[in-house]
Amino acid sequence: MTENGTEEGAAEDIIICRGVNKWFGNFHVLKDVSTTVRQGEKIVIVGPSGSGKSTFIRTINRLEEHQSGDIIVDGIELTEDVRNIDAIRSEVGMVFQQFNLFPHLTVMQNITLAPMKVRHWSRSVAEEAGLELLTRVGIPEQAEKYPIELSGGQQQRVAIARALAMQPRIMLFDEPTSALDPEMINEVLDAMRELANSGMTMLIVTHEIGFAREVADRIIMMDEGRIVEESSANDFFDNPKSERTKLFLSQIL
Amino acid sequence: MVAGTPQPPASLPPPRTEVGALGWAKHNLFSSQFNSALTVVFGIAIAAALWFGLKWVLVDANWTVIVRLGGRFIIGQYNTEAACAGQNCFWRPQASLLLIAALMGMAWGVVGAGVMRQIALVIGVGAAAFALLPYSMDTMGMDVRLLLAANLPALALGWALGRYTPLGTVRNIPILGVVIFLLTLVLLRGVPGVSLLQGVPGVSLLQPVRVIYWGGLMLNLILAVGGIAVSLPIGIALALGRRSSLPVVKTVCVVFIEVFRGVPLITLLFMSQTLVPLAFPEDFPQNSLFRAGVVITLFSAAYMAENIRGGLQALHPGQVEAARALGLAGWQTTMFIELPQAIRNVIPAIVGQFIGLFKDTSLVYIIGMLDIVEIGRAFILGNVEYRASARELFVFVAVVFWIFTYSMSYVSGRIEEHMGVGRR
Repeated sequence: MTENGTEEGAAEDIIICRGVNKWFGNFHVLKDVSTTVRQGEKIVIVGPSGSGKSTFIRTINRLEEHQSGDIIVDGIELTEDVRNIDAIRSEVGMVFQQFNLFPHLTVMQNITLAPMKVRHWSRSVAEEAGLELLTRVGIPEQAEKYPIELSGGQQQRVAIARALAMQPRIMLFDEPTSALDPEMINEVLDAMRELANSGMTMLIVTHEIGFAREVADRIIMMDEGRIVEESSANDFFDNPKSERTKLFLSQIL
Repeated sequence: MVAGTPQPPASLPPPRTEVGALGWAKHNLFSSQFNSALTVVFGIAIAAALWFGLKWVLVDANWTVIVRLGGRFIIGQYNTEAACAGQNCFWRPQASLLLIAALMGMAWGVVGAGVMRQIALVIGVGAAAFALLPYSMDTMGMDVRLLLAANLPALALGWALGRYTPLGTVRNIPILGVVIFLLTLVLLRGVPGVSLLQGVPGVSLLQPVRVIYWGGLMLNLILAVGGIAVSLPIGIALALGRRSSLPVVKTVCVVFIEVFRGVPLITLLFMSQTLVPLAFPEDFPQNSLFRAGVVITLFSAAYMAENIRGGLQALHPGQVEAARALGLAGWQTTMFIELPQAIRNVIPAIVGQFIGLFKDTSLVYIIGMLDIVEIGRAFILGNVEYRASARELFVFVAVVFWIFTYSMSYVSGRIEEHMGVGRR
């Protein structure tokens, strides 16, 4: 369907969701969500607040548990089995709206903690890789600082580097720029652009429509817990099919 | 910038009345009529308190009771003939002090300058200064003085060991701390002699000294240090247990915490003498000091658990999510992410608990042990001529307690500063 997909050759389906349902108490937050993501695809998920976008990507690394349906990530089905969950979590990186850096650790320690404790890398190997990642997101000189000493944009770039340190095959972004001052949004989007160009599989919940148009292979529109439209970026913006999408686009464009 | 725009004038120094002592006084003491009145009233009150306080301390008070009790304040009846028949035991607490000075020196050598150096120097120099007390040689012999003065070389030796030998690692310090604490207990308690001939009592170089003779500040410190070292890990375990998803673990922890928090420590101490023995095998060696220590520790642990639980609850849930999303296991998230932040955030409460525990060690008087307060009280009760000196005695003891508790408070402040509490 997309150029990226065909270039990869036999692009495998790296995430498969079939009829996923989830409730918060009595509130039916995800309704029969089904979609497939192929390796290397960039998916942007849009929709009004409360439409279940964040909840949906959080089910993919089991930060939220789904109650029915199947989620298969990188060939591993998400079940109660803790080993499966841990295996998937180390394959799936996540970047949060509020950064969630560890305030008691330096930037470098934030990045090296998981590789050292989960992958059992030596400190020197982990720090070398950490410095490489910090260079990649453009802030190698901040390695020994604490998160509070950094600007919001820098913190979010550290969070991206921290997630990448586990060498994930998939990256989830949950509104990565929503908590940032406007002048810092671009530095984070640049880091994400660079990541997209490297061929990473990405699922991004965002309100940055320009960025979505530029980077996304496919856009998923969610409303009230359902996927109401799923199409290529061009089709989505230029030729929306559902009334709900048209209304949404008219409000934000 | 548009040409011709007037440049803002360069910053000028503030007027003289705004800076220096004058400015400070104007802002803080005399900023309004009401504040000026308050300043005058409180100034007079403070001056009067200082005048009468100092006059009492320097002129009116009769400090001979303190001089007379002297070493009793520190080791109680430990070196009396009743405690240590036929032997001179005074060197055993002093040897323990030497070990502690060496350990502190070593910690200083490992960590480098900072609060550790201050602690080490205060202990080493303070102990050595006691060697110069103006007692007669009959009351305080040369051997006692030399052992006190030896704290300085012990400190230096420890420092060198910490600095220049592979023994000196950050990990080794707490391990050595536990070893030295246990060694101190053995040294003070002594070991029974081995009987070579039937009917002839064995001779021991470390003649056993019954704990009932341990006393003074030494007793308070042993209970406090042991209690602090053990109640913190138990408290952490209880706090984690209380949040456990396993109902059995959770219930056990909740019941433990609520029971130990809900009963006065004095009651627990009375109960300890009859109930603690039930918790151990019959031939388990125990004594009143051990039983009191167990109860004080568990009592403190129950409060500690709630302090730490408060710290855990204050954490943003995103911290755990981020850790789990990185693939860290549940226990790793607790060890590396939750606990370090939770403990750091509640250091003031934890230190408050330590200070409370240290002061509470005085309560062991109710099971007949002569701590620093009780040894003085018992002394003036037994010596009619010192009855009038109760005021001096308790002021002195209060100052001793305050020096220790304030030191704990000071050290914790320095540690917080070092860890950047409140900043990150």
